Amino acid sequence: MNESAKRARDIITSYDGKPLRIMEVCGTHTHEIFRIGLRKLLPPQVELISGPGCPVCVTAVGFIDEACWLALEKGCIICTFGDLIRVPGTEMSLAGARAKGGDIRPVYSPLDAVELAKENPEKQVVFLAVGFETTTPSACLAAKQAKEAGLTNFSLLTANKTMPNAYKALIGSADAFLYPGHVNAITGNGVCRQLCEEHGVSGVVAGFTASELLTAMAVTIRLLQEGKPFFRNCYPRVVRDEGNPAAIRMMQEVMEPCDSEWRGLGMIEGSGMKLRAEYADYDARLKYAMPVITGRPNPACRCGDVLQGKIRPCDCKVFGKGCTPLHPVGACMVSDEGACAAYYQYGGA
Amino acid sequence: MCVGLSAKVVRVEEGTAIIDAGGAQREISAGVLDELEPGDFVMVHAGVAIAKITEDDSAEADSVMEELL
Ligand code: SF4
Repeated sequence: MNESAKRARDIITSYDGKPLRIMEVCGTHTHEIFRIGLRKLLPPQVELISGPGCPVCVTAVGFIDEACWLALEKGCIICTFGDLIRVPGTEMSLAGARAKGGDIRPVYSPLDAVELAKENPEKQVVFLAVGFETTTPSACLAAKQAKEAGLTNFSLLTANKTMPNAYKALIGSADAFLYPGHVNAITGNGVCRQLCEEHGVSGVVAGFTASELLTAMAVTIRLLQEGKPFFRNCYPRVVRDEGNPAAIRMMQEVMEPCDSEWRGLGMIEGSGMKLRAEYADYDARLKYAMPVITGRPNPACRCGDVLQGKIRPCDCKVFGKGCTPLHPVGACMVSDEGACAAYYQYGGA
Repeated sequence: MCVGLSAKVVRVEEGTAIIDAGGAQREISAGVLDELEPGDFVMVHAGVAIAKITEDDSAEADSVMEELL
């Protein structure tokens, strides 16, 4: 172990101050922290809580219902990130829609869905655009490529989300945030600095390797001890202060802010992205004159409280009993980045 | 869906790049990076390079921990 890692480890294990609550906003952080065993290093006063940063988990039930409607009523090919396929909708998941004859295809990238549309001109292809600032540029790129190619058989069902207003909704729920590194890689650090300076919210941008998470945790614990609000970029090999200007330009060209419903957090003003009027032909809701579809989550599921760090997954009554990765009741048990799936997989340590 | 892939750029073509991630080569979009050259390292998300990166996370840890003094 090198000097920095040793020092970071010492800071973490020797902490004996007041109780601290640190929220890992990003679902991939939740998983990696479990996987590398970082939780086991933490002294009992340091509590890690999971936040709303898994795009699959915060996608509203109604969105799944809309996608099933497009598959079954309109006969569209639905292309989606694989994680969404088993997320329960009101009546069924996309896997259920597939069992009823819907054509549901997992893709790695929205650009693959554009290719599929090119190869199948007689079929209508819809890509399910979920995700934060990290993933939204790829959906925008897909819309732009489809428009440039003059495709008339490709559209997006959007539920893209942006983090700034979600952070504001979460103020007070933790002593510090571990900010999602790949969101900041796009947006830069301005919003996090502003949260620190104007709202006294502390946090660090964290990467995803064992070294990066260890370092980020040590910096957070040390600076919390100093008692003043702080912001640090602990992921400088990927995150620049200004973010990725070309990606920001791409998003602004193709999409614009809108209000958005978050599973568990409800409607958050200005926290979503939708296609601009110039891209109306690529907006599945407009293209198919979709009726208003409101989803009803399973009342037993407490994803909402999990996503706000109010309860741990194992505090949910059906965790590990009625709700398992094979038979998920809520979205947090489905995605690899979901907190309930992480607790289930790693034993809720 | 949010797990990033870090990879080395092997070739750059119009709007796309061929990357090498642990020996496997794959084509990705370079549509949201202003400049990219063979030999650069990138972080890839959903088939799109989202940031140029440096390869080494131990030098990063050193610089972050130094600042903490
Ligand atoms: S354990 Fe299942 S039902 Fe409970 S909150 Fe998590 S996903 Fe929802």
